[in-house]
Amino acid sequence: MSQEQASRPLEAMNTVGRNVPRIDAYERVTGKATYTRDVRLPGMLYARILRSPHPHARIRSIDISRAEALPGVRSVVTHETHQLIYSSGSVAGGRQYNDAAKDITTHLRYMFDNPVRYVGQPVAAVAAVDRHVAEEALQLIDIDYEELPFVIDAERALEPGAALVWPEGNLALDYQNQARPMVRRVGDVSAGLQAADRVFEDRYTTAFVQDGQMEPRSALAEWHGDKVTIHTPTQGISNCRHDNARDLGLEDHQVQIVCKYMGGGFGDKNGSYYFDLIAATLAKEADAPVLLELTRKDDWLGTHGRWHTIQDFKVGVKQDGTVTAIQMHGYSGMGPYLRRSGGISGIEVYACPNTERIIYPVHTNRMVSGNFRAPSDPQGFFAMQSMMDDIAYKLGIDPVDFAKQNMLRPTEDVRFTNYTMEECIERGAQLFDWQGRRRPEPGSDPGPVKRGAGMSFMMFRSGVGPSSAILRVDSEQRYTLFVGVTDIGPGAKTTMALIAAEELGVPLSQVEVVWGDTDRCPYSVGESGSRTTTQTGYAVVQAAIDLKEQIAESGMPTGDEVLIASATPTPSTQGRRRMCFGAHLVEVETDVRLGYVRISKYVAVHESGRILNPLPARDQIRGAALQGIGQALHEDLLYDARNGHPLTAGYYGARHLTHMDAPEIEVTFIETDDGFGPYGAKTVGEAGIILGPAAVANAIFNAIGHRMRDLPITRAKILEALS
Amino acid sequence: MDRKKPEKEPRELPESHEPQEGAHLSRRDFLEGAGAALVVAGGAPKLGVAESRTAVVAPQEAEAVPRTRIRLTVNGTEHRLDVEDRWTLNELLRDHIELTGSKIGCNRGECGACTVLLDGEPIYSCSTLAVWADGRAVQTVEGLEQDGELTPLQQAFIDHDAAQCGFCTPGQLMTATAMLNQNSSPTAGEVREALVGNLCRCSNYNAIVEAVLASTGSGGAP
Repeated sequence: MSQEQASRPLEAMNTVGRNVPRIDAYERVTGKATYTRDVRLPGMLYARILRSPHPHARIRSIDISRAEALPGVRSVVTHETHQLIYSSGSVAGGRQYNDAAKDITTHLRYMFDNPVRYVGQPVAAVAAVDRHVAEEALQLIDIDYEELPFVIDAERALEPGAALVWPEGNLALDYQNQARPMVRRVGDVSAGLQAADRVFEDRYTTAFVQDGQMEPRSALAEWHGDKVTIHTPTQGISNCRHDNARDLGLEDHQVQIVCKYMGGGFGDKNGSYYFDLIAATLAKEADAPVLLELTRKDDWLGTHGRWHTIQDFKVGVKQDGTVTAIQMHGYSGMGPYLRRSGGISGIEVYACPNTERIIYPVHTNRMVSGNFRAPSDPQGFFAMQSMMDDIAYKLGIDPVDFAKQNMLRPTEDVRFTNYTMEECIERGAQLFDWQGRRRPEPGSDPGPVKRGAGMSFMMFRSGVGPSSAILRVDSEQRYTLFVGVTDIGPGAKTTMALIAAEELGVPLSQVEVVWGDTDRCPYSVGESGSRTTTQTGYAVVQAAIDLKEQIAESGMPTGDEVLIASATPTPSTQGRRRMCFGAHLVEVETDVRLGYVRISKYVAVHESGRILNPLPARDQIRGAALQGIGQALHEDLLYDARNGHPLTAGYYGARHLTHMDAPEIEVTFIETDDGFGPYGAKTVGEAGIILGPAAVANAIFNAIGHRMRDLPITRAKILEALS
Repeated sequence: MDRKKPEKEPRELPESHEPQEGAHLSRRDFLEGAGAALVVAGGAPKLGVAESRTAVVAPQEAEAVPRTRIRLTVNGTEHRLDVEDRWTLNELLRDHIELTGSKIGCNRGECGACTVLLDGEPIYSCSTLAVWADGRAVQTVEGLEQDGELTPLQQAFIDHDAAQCGFCTPGQLMTATAMLNQNSSPTAGEVREALVGNLCRCSNYNAIVEAVLASTGSGGAP
């Protein structure tokens, strides 16, 4: 299809495109779904981790003798007993990210490190006959710490004289082990700024946000000779196996990763983590299965969340509203170890010919930052599209018109598999009644409750790529699908089954799915990057086509015969960009006496290709939009700058959304089939979280006439702006 | 796996643990009592089939911990057992009666994933000691389905896709069940208010409310 061809409603297929209840919904509503901590093994021990109470300290000595002497304790491990490097090094560990980089990185992440570099870093672990004994043993470990200077602020960490998180400096090392910022330049930003009629400058900041999935991390390890089975909630069993094997000095086949049900992930459960290694180590030492449970506080401080950012903009604009230059210099606070990139997106959705983006991923003595649903995006889109919204009002242009004037569009050089950006914005504006709800003069409502409207738009990668699937049919026409997926919430298992049923032309009830176990399933890309449906789903289509051809050739199997098909496709879009598109439009009511913000209308329009299962797809967008609202208005991890301690670790302190905070999200999908992915399906899971912070912030500006530049936009900040 | 140190020397466990001067005072030290084996007796169930079960307990090599004999009904089955005084009701249910449906999301009364009904009232089982359930009736998510029949609420959760990752679902179901027992035709606002103590980080709040309303016959189509 041509890039800008208008989309038509797609008709439902046999199975695809209809509301299909999850094939495991019964297990989910009866308590029968087996999450990692629900697995019980005979003779299983319980383990707990002791964590650093200091933001930066050297361990002079660690004495475990009293803990070891406690009856019921089976094993105690520390940095003195075991030195394992987890996720195989420091630069974005995880097979899908870059194996080669892990061989050269020098900022190694040890299971237990010395010095410790953040409050909450593991220093020891205990396995005991029950969790109470393990917890008591932690209290009996005596550690002599030498406290070291620490730094909490990402910008200050790069100033001369700042406390050093690493001896060679606080700028993170990149994939080539070089300390340098991430730089992306297009055109000539200086020339673009000179050509502008007006240049706008501003600083925006965003806070750290914990993924906060409901199921805290845990790992249950059991050795069988030189093989280890690790039950662990991971968004990607194949990558988790590879990394754990490498870290333990084993071959892939010596590690089995099992993850059946998982209580949410949002990027917190990407790949492997140190607790997998701790559980495996304790199990080896104690010669018994070990269940390592992270407490909620362990999970809050000892995993990761979205990196906090500082973003400085310079944007040049012609008087007619044409953007001539965008410059952004940013800092991403990564904590002491680089678990992911620290990227900040948002510029690339504009057609501006002159852009410069320089990002400094900075080490601090805060907890580690890493992936959270669309890792680089909500914070970047908030800042960029707040900036653009501000400019539009200063030029007297409707922000929707300003967006349409400046957004990236298909050209001969920029080719898309399809393009529906304008359609998403226009549909959203119509459903929302943008003209009716927007205040042409921001802050013009008489109050005390003032209304206003804001919008934001996005294009987000929805690539294609390799994954695998195996399909088997027996003489009773039972189809068994083997896919290495886990189900973090979107319903991957159901999606894979309905794709198979569709392609095979059989009822869904005839397809059984084997999933979440590396000993039984082929490689799958993992539940990160919203790729399971597009990549593993496409492999399922190809395996089903293979199986149909075999059946056509040799007939259905009879007696004890089976037919088996497999596929490991490596599709390509041949240089075209495959994107999903979306626009969010929000109305808020702001009580200027209290600073209170209520979302009174929220419209989310998305084009994510063909929607395979409308109900869970809708709820991916609704849930993600609500998480975006949480980032906009609530969530933060505050640190006490005097002692380097986190103050708001937990749902209550970080103010994650409750039922009472959740407005209704109205979701509309524009459906297309661009010929890629399974039946044209694109990315859904991450797309919905990107736009909330920008749209909410822009609506608050429209309501009160004050630009809120720092997330989260708390009541206190609003009252301060109004005073 | 690589080890920094050579094999550790085998060690013997001391026969008793003497709390040291100035050491952390634990619940174990604080409470007193005698250890006893855990027995789960099949009582006279009000519902379902009578069963007699012996729960799996951790090997009793650790120091004896004060225990108390309690009697409680769980999903219609009566249990008489000796519980450690420090056990929460959630530990009793998940680790010793093998009902793993209720979940631990925070273990500190913030998230509601552990919600069960105690005499019909929703409580956080992570913040309730097992001994406090003595003489009372507990209902967990496993006790909703009767004779293979899901409750209308469970069915509505399926039809409206109210469970994304499913981890908070048992708690949402139990709190909503208690609310519906009190108020069979709630408004959306009443549902939100009743469920405010049950977090859902998938933020599937819209669908959960829709499912609860639909189960009463007042909700719209999915």
